[in-house]
Amino acid sequence: MSILALSFTLLFVMITMLVSVWQKLGLERDIAVGTVRSAVQLLLVGYVLQFIFNTSNPILIALILVLMITIASFNAGKRGAGLKGIVWKIAIAITSTELMMMGLLLGFRIIEATPQYIIPISGMTIGNAMVVSGLFLNQMRREVSASRGEIETLLSLGATARQAIQEVMKRSVKSSMIPTIDGMKTVGLVQLPGMMTGMIVAGANPIEAVRYQILIVFAFTSSAAITSIILSLISYRLWFTKDLRIRLIEEKG
Amino acid sequence: MKPVFHMQQLRKKHEGKENQALFANVTAEIADPTVIALLGVSGQGKSTLLRILASLEHADEGDIGLHNISQREMDPRLWRMKVCYVAQQSVMLTGSIEHNLKTVSLLHRIPYEDKLVNHLLPRLGLDHLDLSKSALELSGGEKQRISLLRALLLHPEVLLLDEITASLDRSSKQMVEQVLQEWHQQEGTTMIWVTHDIEQAKQISQTVWFMGEGTLLENCSTEAFFEQPATELARNYVQAPSVSYKEDPCPF
Repeated sequence: MSILALSFTLLFVMITMLVSVWQKLGLERDIAVGTVRSAVQLLLVGYVLQFIFNTSNPILIALILVLMITIASFNAGKRGAGLKGIVWKIAIAITSTELMMMGLLLGFRIIEATPQYIIPISGMTIGNAMVVSGLFLNQMRREVSASRGEIETLLSLGATARQAIQEVMKRSVKSSMIPTIDGMKTVGLVQLPGMMTGMIVAGANPIEAVRYQILIVFAFTSSAAITSIILSLISYRLWFTKDLRIRLIEEKG
Repeated sequence: MKPVFHMQQLRKKHEGKENQALFANVTAEIADPTVIALLGVSGQGKSTLLRILASLEHADEGDIGLHNISQREMDPRLWRMKVCYVAQQSVMLTGSIEHNLKTVSLLHRIPYEDKLVNHLLPRLGLDHLDLSKSALELSGGEKQRISLLRALLLHPEVLLLDEITASLDRSSKQMVEQVLQEWHQQEGTTMIWVTHDIEQAKQISQTVWFMGEGTLLENCSTEAFFEQPATELARNYVQAPSVSYKEDPCPF
């Protein structure tokens, strides 16, 4: 796509701006900031990726992955505000998921060990793991509050933290995985996934694009399950005080 | 001799009102296994006190002990197995009635006492129940009795009962009272029983703890309490005509 063609896409932004002014939505400033940010961020990432693809330096690849995981952990950590050390725990869950996914993909030679494959697929895996972590924590917060009676009944009968929260954890893990599984069922029918669309637009054979998309869909499902289960196992104690009483975490923001 | 149970200078702040105490200076000692009726008008913190004794809430000040071992020094799990709380609003766990009754056995990997269960079910008026039915379908009164039975299977040393007969009809209430009295005699379980039913208090308890004016106002034998209450507040309470009213249940 030429720069001229790209600049014509600003027409879409102008349409949005006009709608905002016309309907007095007051979103002009946000739209302007969003436009500039998305353009700058994406262009920057484009140059960074180009540089990394050219050098193929494993340290640089690792650095990019660490950066992705850090940002993802902080972002998902907002859903667990009030839970001590939750960002670390999310980082552990996401890193374990990423290592397992890449281990399998590279170990079975499903993808080539080049940054062209590793970085985008990792990005999608980490992004999905981030969403799943956020959903899990949100659901836990709601469940712990709604199921306080159930948890306290079990505690009254001498249950351990794990025994008392087991059912709540199970329900939260399940609920955090539902969007991924639902997405799996309707993929291709309701919308064409971004990666596949991108590959087709860039000139790839649709069948080849579909193969990669299938890989992503399957990888997402297992990464959702792994992230959610690991996070639940390493974070459940945070919902209790030291002397094994329920700690209710208020929703912030 | 070591007392069975003691609480010393317990103080709990009002939720949301940091400077105001819900109760303070709550001190008592239970020398031998007994049944205590915990009385007092609504809002004195009786349920909160029971929850503190069960280690489900923490006191802002003071100490609680079982056989002179402080609650703080004991693993909360172990404490709750010995000092068990039965809530006013009983919560059934998802699953069958049998699953609920087996909770203690599953949690602690101990044999399920089916003989005891089969003995107690008819005595609690629950022999008509199909145990494979979902526990969530039970009526309020049935849930209450199942949750009591579930707690008894733990064989605690101290049983904290929070208005557990509030949702029962007369005959079920009498059954529960009788079962618990026999249980106390056979097992030597100490019971601290919150009730608003004065007749019940007279019948089941040997001791009365009366809460009022933000503290444990009276601690004496049931007979003495009802014959000659020491405080004006207790006198009014004993003479009040509405002897078996219900208060709003504690939300948890």
